[in-house]
Amino acid sequence: MRIFLEQFLNGLTIGSFYALVALGYSMVYGVMKLINFAHGDLFALGSYLGYTVLVIGAGWITQVLGVWGGVAVALTAAMLGIGIAGLVVERIAYRPVYKAGRLPLVVSALGMSIFISNGIMAIWGPRFQAYPPDAIPSAILSFGDIKITVIKLVTLIVSLGLMALIYWMVEKTLFGAAVRATALDRDTATLMGIDFRKIILFVFFVGPALGAMAGVFAGLNYGRIIFNLGWTYGLKAFTATILGGIGNIPGAMIGGLLLGVMESLFEGFVSGAWKSVFVFLVLIAILIVRPTGLIGEKVAEKV
Amino acid sequence: MADVTRKVTQRILNSQKSRKMPVKIAPVQLVLLAAVIVLLIAFPFFPFVNNYWIDVGFFVGIYVLLGLSLNIVLGEVGLFDLGHAAFYAIGAYTTGILYVKLHVPILALLPISAIVAGGFAYLVTSPIIHLRGDYLCIVTIGIGEIVRITALNNPFGLTNGPNGVTGIGNPDLGLFAIRTPTHFYYYIWVIIALVIIGLLNLQKSRVGRAWNFIREDEIAAEANGIDVRSYKLLAFVLGAALAGIAGNIYASKMMVISPDNFTFMESCLLFCIVLLGGLGSIPGNMLGAAAIVIFPEIFRQFASYKLLFFGAALVVMMIFRPGGIWPRRREGVGFRGLGISGLPKDENEFLLKIPKEAVLVPHGADPAQSTTVKAEVAQEKTINNIVLETQNVTMQFGGLVAVNHFDLKIREGKITSLIGPNGAGKTTLFNVITGIYRPTTGKVIFMGKDITGLKPHTIIAKGIARTFQNIRLFPSLTCIENVMSGPHCHAHSGTWSSILRLPVQKKEERKILEIASYRLNQVGLWEYRNELAKNLPYGKQRLLEIARALATSPKLLVLDEPSSGLNDKETEELMEFLKSLITEGFTLLLIEHDMNVVMGISDWVTVMDMGSKIAEGPPSEIYNNPRVIEAYLGKEE
Repeated sequence: MRIFLEQFLNGLTIGSFYALVALGYSMVYGVMKLINFAHGDLFALGSYLGYTVLVIGAGWITQVLGVWGGVAVALTAAMLGIGIAGLVVERIAYRPVYKAGRLPLVVSALGMSIFISNGIMAIWGPRFQAYPPDAIPSAILSFGDIKITVIKLVTLIVSLGLMALIYWMVEKTLFGAAVRATALDRDTATLMGIDFRKIILFVFFVGPALGAMAGVFAGLNYGRIIFNLGWTYGLKAFTATILGGIGNIPGAMIGGLLLGVMESLFEGFVSGAWKSVFVFLVLIAILIVRPTGLIGEKVAEKV
Repeated sequence: MADVTRKVTQRILNSQKSRKMPVKIAPVQLVLLAAVIVLLIAFPFFPFVNNYWIDVGFFVGIYVLLGLSLNIVLGEVGLFDLGHAAFYAIGAYTTGILYVKLHVPILALLPISAIVAGGFAYLVTSPIIHLRGDYLCIVTIGIGEIVRITALNNPFGLTNGPNGVTGIGNPDLGLFAIRTPTHFYYYIWVIIALVIIGLLNLQKSRVGRAWNFIREDEIAAEANGIDVRSYKLLAFVLGAALAGIAGNIYASKMMVISPDNFTFMESCLLFCIVLLGGLGSIPGNMLGAAAIVIFPEIFRQFASYKLLFFGAALVVMMIFRPGGIWPRRREGVGFRGLGISGLPKDENEFLLKIPKEAVLVPHGADPAQSTTVKAEVAQEKTINNIVLETQNVTMQFGGLVAVNHFDLKIREGKITSLIGPNGAGKTTLFNVITGIYRPTTGKVIFMGKDITGLKPHTIIAKGIARTFQNIRLFPSLTCIENVMSGPHCHAHSGTWSSILRLPVQKKEERKILEIASYRLNQVGLWEYRNELAKNLPYGKQRLLEIARALATSPKLLVLDEPSSGLNDKETEELMEFLKSLITEGFTLLLIEHDMNVVMGISDWVTVMDMGSKIAEGPPSEIYNNPRVIEAYLGKEE
């Protein structure tokens, strides 16, 4: 039971990373019908930005603001920086290709992904980088014989809170309605007076910013990061997006959390080496039964 | 009718005289081809070329082969396959394991690897082949990862985990072993040459066209008689088999293979090769592969930056040349682009020489014969000769009943119109008849046989062809290629006879072109034959869709709002044309909103409202029926 609970919590944590990254995939996909392969690498870049802030600021930010203040500064910087990076990627790699159709867009996204991950390697080097230990909050809570680091708890609470916020924004506000309308039919939405550029700004800023947050939290939780982090996490997050139903905000969250928990439990009770195989098999099985994901809407093409 | 056709032909021929004919194969292209071949043969002997560069030439070859294999799936059929390295891995591991454990000769493993990879593709893709776009994409990624991780985990001690399989031998021909870089260079390029010849033949055949139809519009392809599922599976199996061959050659060259050779990144590279070259373009593919291999070599001195440049180059390429380096050109190439042998140089001459018996018409009616007799004969038979009948058909979507216990009878040689207000369920009924939907309850009987729930491509082969309310053509194919989808369902030549260009296949291809040309000319679009369908004006696109449906030689032609979007003159011409089809032996069912058309040409009108039949009868009766007027205009207060 203890192992179960621990693995479950681990799964929720990693699942919340997947979910945050998946949100970015799903938002961009909803609006542009593009799988933003560079998104996973933006997540990694966010992690590195946070790392740099903590390394540089470990001396004084942490001293002035305390460990948690340092974490907050790193998170904010990474989210802002990566949000802007997301906009830049859209401007240089996607907007000029948008008219050419979906396949060139995919290649452009792959190119951007390769560019960013190798850019990270060129700047920070090909080896693992360790988050400075004294910048990571080290408090541990224990409930009976279950121990949980405070940073893990904070990660979970902040991630879930942010997801709730995004959910509220997209599902309950007027602006969210505009985003959803654009996702359904861009032309009609534009004719109704929705400014497509604002929607683009929103999804390409908020999506990567959420990814960056996940990136910093991943670094804080696991302690070390590597340049191709974006490929592994990106792939899992993309899987989560499809699992939930792509283009669907709650779907991305549920898909991410579910994937993380499944993976963790399988790792804890069956085998770590085969966990990805298990995850993909589950995904395929689900898609055979529900071809558009768990809560993806059934899109019947009008004939 | 025959006179009309002849007049039209004549008119077009006259107008054609001034139009320039499609260019013949330019000598420049032949010279270019010869130059490439000479260059490839002579490459190892160039002074600056050492073993290192010969190996680069070999690896370009491997990626050409892989690119060609993915091109079948992604380029020809348009399926997002981002896990193609899986099939490459299966080929390589089959070779490696069987050689090391059972000492099967490498060359014998070449076909075996192809078969194992193809079989694997069949097994894993058949449950998921119906998934659309990005969902298929993630599943292929998943397959790629599953294969790689499985190899990494060393199941049953077969794959030797991360270290991979070592000690794989070189191909041995008995007297002669392929060992040096130069040997391998020629070995792979000879195989590529053979593969390219086969693929070119396949591309320009019934199979290749079917793939392209699916890529352009899956639903229209299925509705025009293409067995979408089988052709998609065929593409995956062939693509995987080719990748398996590449795997075998790679393994025998490197003598060691490990999971690192078959990562997701590898699949992405293959994806980029196909798009860099141009979808469905074989020369483009070769250039794409060359670019992918040689580009990092050129930047080798920058070591860790080479992939950085590579990523940026991909983005820049897609910005400035989204169609690829060498896209496949279709428009303006003329019929010689179709790859059908023995055609006269002058396409008009070909049209005029089409033997009348080549064009299948229901009941073997001769379109060239005088019409009056036929019409009378048809009249007599229609009394109880029912072509199509829907019995008690209900179609429910969730709680919405779109079609409610509907009975419809279509009599032979008549024009039946189905009318009703918007949302009455007319198109849904059409979709039930043509097999796109399976009715919730009820039966569809065609020519006395139950066709309920059959797939659209089977139904069309039985003789029901349709057009769509929102035109669904194959936009990036030429008009003649569009119409050539029609005869597909009655033809038989498959993969091997197409690759080998057997005489039967050649004859069949010619016949397909004859039927398509005849029908294209019949609707008056002959002069547009080599234009892309998407470039036609709206009215002409409608006609093209009708030509495509006619080319399936149907018994019953089902037209969904054929006159919508046409101007008065075009509508008038359409009415004349539809009437002429009756004399040719076709039976027509229309959905139509234009009352002039309905009243002008229908023999029988059925009125639908809220999914139910509210009236039927000859047009004059319907015109005054109070219930019909009520359905259209509302109740009089």
